[in-house]
Amino acid sequence: MAKQTQDAYIVAALRTPVGKAPRGMFKNVRPDDMLVHVLQAVMKQCEGLDPAAIDDVIAGCAMPEAEQGINVARVALLLAGLPNSIPGMTINRFCASGLQAVALAADRIRLGEADVIIAGGTESMSMIPMMGNKVAMNPAMYMHDENVAIAYGMGITAEKVAQQWKVNRDQQDEFAMTSHMRALQAIETGEFKQEIAPYPIEEKRPDLTSHETMTVKSVKDTDEGPRADTSLAALAKLKPVFAADGSVTAGNSSQMSDGAGAVVMMSAAALQRFNLTPIGRFIGYSVTGVPPEIMGIGPIKAIPKVLKQVGMKQDDLNWIELNEAFAAQSLAVINELDLDRAKVNPLGGAIALGHPLGATGAIRVATLLHGLRRRQQKYGMVTMCVGSGMGAAGVLEAL
Amino acid sequence: MSSYRFIVRKAAVLGAGVMGAQIAAHLVNANIETLLFELPAESGDPSTPATKAIGKLKKLEPAPLSVASKAACIQPANYDQHLGLLTDCDLVIEAIAERMDWKTDLYAKVAPYLGQHTIFASNTSGLSINQLAQAFPEELRHRFCGIHFFNPPRYMHLVEIIPCKESDTSMLDDLEAFLVTYLGKGVIRAKDTPNFIANRVGVFSMLAVIHHAEAFGLGFDLVDKLTGSLIGRPKSATFRTADVVGLDILAHVINTMQNTLADDPWHAYYTPPAWLQALIDLGALGQKTGKGIYQKIDKEIHVLDLATNSYRLSADALDEDVASLLKLKNPVEKFSALRSSEHPQAQFLWAIHRDLFHYCAVHLTAIADNARDLDLAIRWGFGWNQGPFEIWQTAGWNQITAWINEDIAAGKSMSNAPLPAWVEEIGQNAVPGVHSAQGSYAPLTHAMQPRSTLPVYRRQLFPDRLSNEERVYGETIFETDAVRMWHTGDEIAIVSFKSKMHTIDIEVLNGLQQAIEEAEHHWRALLIWQTEPPFSAGANLQKATEKPKSEEPPSAFDQFMKKFKKTAQSTILQAARSLDLADALMAGKLAEVETLITRFQQLSQHLRYCMIPTVAAVDGLALGGGCEFVMHCDRAVATLESYIGLVEAGVGLLPAGGGCKELALRAARNAIDDDPFPQLKHYFQTVAMAQLAKSAEQAKQLGYLRPADPIIMHRFELLHAAKIQALALAESGYRPPLMPRGIPVAGSTGIATIKGTLVNMLEGHFISEHDYLIGSKIAHVMCGGDLTPGSLVDEEWFLRLERKAFIELLATEKTQARITHTLKTGKPLRN
Repeated sequence: MAKQTQDAYIVAALRTPVGKAPRGMFKNVRPDDMLVHVLQAVMKQCEGLDPAAIDDVIAGCAMPEAEQGINVARVALLLAGLPNSIPGMTINRFCASGLQAVALAADRIRLGEADVIIAGGTESMSMIPMMGNKVAMNPAMYMHDENVAIAYGMGITAEKVAQQWKVNRDQQDEFAMTSHMRALQAIETGEFKQEIAPYPIEEKRPDLTSHETMTVKSVKDTDEGPRADTSLAALAKLKPVFAADGSVTAGNSSQMSDGAGAVVMMSAAALQRFNLTPIGRFIGYSVTGVPPEIMGIGPIKAIPKVLKQVGMKQDDLNWIELNEAFAAQSLAVINELDLDRAKVNPLGGAIALGHPLGATGAIRVATLLHGLRRRQQKYGMVTMCVGSGMGAAGVLEAL
Repeated sequence: MSSYRFIVRKAAVLGAGVMGAQIAAHLVNANIETLLFELPAESGDPSTPATKAIGKLKKLEPAPLSVASKAACIQPANYDQHLGLLTDCDLVIEAIAERMDWKTDLYAKVAPYLGQHTIFASNTSGLSINQLAQAFPEELRHRFCGIHFFNPPRYMHLVEIIPCKESDTSMLDDLEAFLVTYLGKGVIRAKDTPNFIANRVGVFSMLAVIHHAEAFGLGFDLVDKLTGSLIGRPKSATFRTADVVGLDILAHVINTMQNTLADDPWHAYYTPPAWLQALIDLGALGQKTGKGIYQKIDKEIHVLDLATNSYRLSADALDEDVASLLKLKNPVEKFSALRSSEHPQAQFLWAIHRDLFHYCAVHLTAIADNARDLDLAIRWGFGWNQGPFEIWQTAGWNQITAWINEDIAAGKSMSNAPLPAWVEEIGQNAVPGVHSAQGSYAPLTHAMQPRSTLPVYRRQLFPDRLSNEERVYGETIFETDAVRMWHTGDEIAIVSFKSKMHTIDIEVLNGLQQAIEEAEHHWRALLIWQTEPPFSAGANLQKATEKPKSEEPPSAFDQFMKKFKKTAQSTILQAARSLDLADALMAGKLAEVETLITRFQQLSQHLRYCMIPTVAAVDGLALGGGCEFVMHCDRAVATLESYIGLVEAGVGLLPAGGGCKELALRAARNAIDDDPFPQLKHYFQTVAMAQLAKSAEQAKQLGYLRPADPIIMHRFELLHAAKIQALALAESGYRPPLMPRGIPVAGSTGIATIKGTLVNMLEGHFISEHDYLIGSKIAHVMCGGDLTPGSLVDEEWFLRLERKAFIELLATEKTQARITHTLKTGKPLRN
């Protein structure tokens, strides 16, 4: 175990259910409202915590503009009713944003410069498309061949990983199928109940006959992505979307999603002051760069790097949340590092559960800690590949 | 009724079957609020069946809707909840299944809800209109009649109106005027006889083909070759048409004739042949079941062979001698040769025509007002180039008559009923035959009946011409080998192209230039209008040195099938043909090409900036250079069936007659916060994918037409409408627009962003390196080149970029290979 100045503890970790984008249950729900919701939900779990004692709110977001723009962390904390004395910061490391927010919060606490921070993330892919509302690329990307890959869509990089790491279509489809089966099983047995803060939706729709405004209310408490009707045969029928002769399909890629998550973190002193019981401890985090055209292999570099940093071995981990950006890159990572498939995403991954970019890291921290605790296991990891060629991995301990 | 002005504010269609739903679609194509009724669902939303039928419209090919989004304008309804809404409908078209009892029930149900002036019309193809009228309350019958659309109703020109005894004359006139102007249809008044005019004659023609094919021992595939485009009928000819229509439907129509035409001299033939019944019993109903007379096996067409009762590979054993007989230009010689030939294929062709002529002559009095109505019904309803009487007359009325009589006497004809006396009588006329300058033969009055004098037809300056009719297009102003400038006695000058497919070459450019100059000095406005479609298949950069190979003119039906079934392929083919660059390339005449393009651009600009209003009157294809002219005229007036597109990318080039410039300019005009890119990226896609608009409405969506460009429904009203537009512009104190001086460009960032998409397509092997090059060049031109975004340029800046990129692409081996390949094979080349 690495020596630390002081420890950073997690007191609460909650998330919204994840909706499908762009036509799912949260298609009309604003990402800032989703963040407000999870901030309020985690605060409710921290009875006795003086809101004024919160040092910062850090939120990850991959496309921080429009409905999730103008520093969504600060906007959301104010709308959530937290005191305006609390600052807020939105950060962006694409798919690792939520995890990066947790790591940043931990660092401030471990350094002794903060005692209480809420970290999290939010993303509406229904409202803000991948790459943002206005794509405007730099002409310099085409001046040197090695930079052209900055313009690559994620799907093409997955095709390249599939080729180089020799992951075939059948293996990808089988992996996708397992993701759905595990997720469905987890929903069935209520595995996500502890981590999901049910989301009440109130929509106002016009009745064009009576000219009245109708209010339609519902509460969402279940992830929308897992499909009970999928099968290997159905997956095999899907056409490759990113390459004419490729193997990556909509079925073996992560889903576009909407969702948010929040994690309350504090020092030992704060735990004592507010009389709160931690559910986990943050151990370490590492991030690394890889060639952009094979961005999916990021975890192959990030996982050993963080394990070395915290002085642990792969076998010490009971649970690995490996973000399933694509079955192709997930299998490349699993095979290359010889990860235990039973330990990787036991409740399914992004192919079934969805991947609301900047929120995913925080969401999966919640999944990991609650899952480890239910199984009375100790160590786990959240890891993911990151667009334009990066890998991130964080290690946590359940208490 | 006389004081009441008939306006269709809202319409309803009862019955959401294939025909009902498509008629509703065409009503919304014409911007008419439409309700579509169907039986209520047993559970859930009672209007679900209608909603489902509306949903299906978006998937049907050829598309019944001009743009898919119009489906939302058809309001689903059901008979339980919504009958009250009928009160507001000025026109109600009933199109439920052909069952007298069901229709009778429905009429009783809806009658109390019909508005005071509502016209109620039944789209039946088989039932008697007078019998149906009996189901209608007597006091409402004056507003009842039959209205027979042909499938697919958006594309088939014909609608038969069938009055019942009580139908009010002015109501029928109102309905006819509505169908013509607002739905764009060709209306024929038919009598209430079984199958009316078009189906009566058309189905008999099929029965005659079936009969003689068997007699001469000819296979289905050979018969289709003989009875298709070679004799001016649709390429799907006889048996493929039957497969498309549905063999069960065909049998149903034949049975109707059998049950209702007991006294007909041809009654013995009104029975489905045994093989047809056998196919139906097997469930092989044609296209809809994937198997009929033809069947597709492993992408190859197989045909039923009656000799072996199994399917074999389709092939046509067309006799070369017979083929050369059919190529005879003079119809008199052609028919003489066919009749005297011993070859069974020639004998067959003579026999099917003879019996058809015979049949039409005997039945004309009973089924139609005059011979013109019968001919036009067949042309508009079955897609033939000429109606039966036209063919007869052009082949020599009296000679054909004599041969028919000989064959009747010799027992060769299908019936021995004598030809009616009028056939010989009109043979004595100065112009022997049914069609003359005075009109067409009407058996009831024994006179030549002129065309209808209804006011609506005053809008048709040049209606669909019968082949025996003389046609003079106004007074010539000047005429060259390439163009003719003319007028119709008012202040508007018209210019029409004389080239094949109205392609544009240097002669056309010079002619147009002359026309603009002439118009500026002596006329109020200039119209570009062609005497027949297409508007223009595009630029022809080098006039072919060889004479084009003689081809049979495609029938109207073939033209639309070609357009819709193989849009992509035919687009590319058209683009290549119209460019006709192969020779110029081989000779390395790039400099010459550049001069031509410069000239082209100058002309486009001249159309925009000359001192009189210019109006493009568009019908049919307007491709490449043709599209660029449309875009540069002050206004375009287009028929709904205009197929407009910048398709140059299909053969490895880009629009260089001002097309890229114009779209960049339009994007800049639509710029929000000075950023033209959001609009420009859509325009880029349109050009890079060589998108052809499948209706004028879609051409507006794609940006080829402007929001203010009127879309009209009727082809033959186009010239009238365009002239009115031109005059309106002239009368509004016309001045050309000022040249835009500060056009903001998307510049280097725009190019880089588009390339981002192209790079992914290239890496994903969706496009080739050369596709990437073409796309990059188009992006470069449309974004204004490698400039700092937001830089301000003028039109000439874009035009120079167009020319340069065009020549650069033309100079590549791969573009040259594409053009050559497409010209040679008619197929696109991906290299």
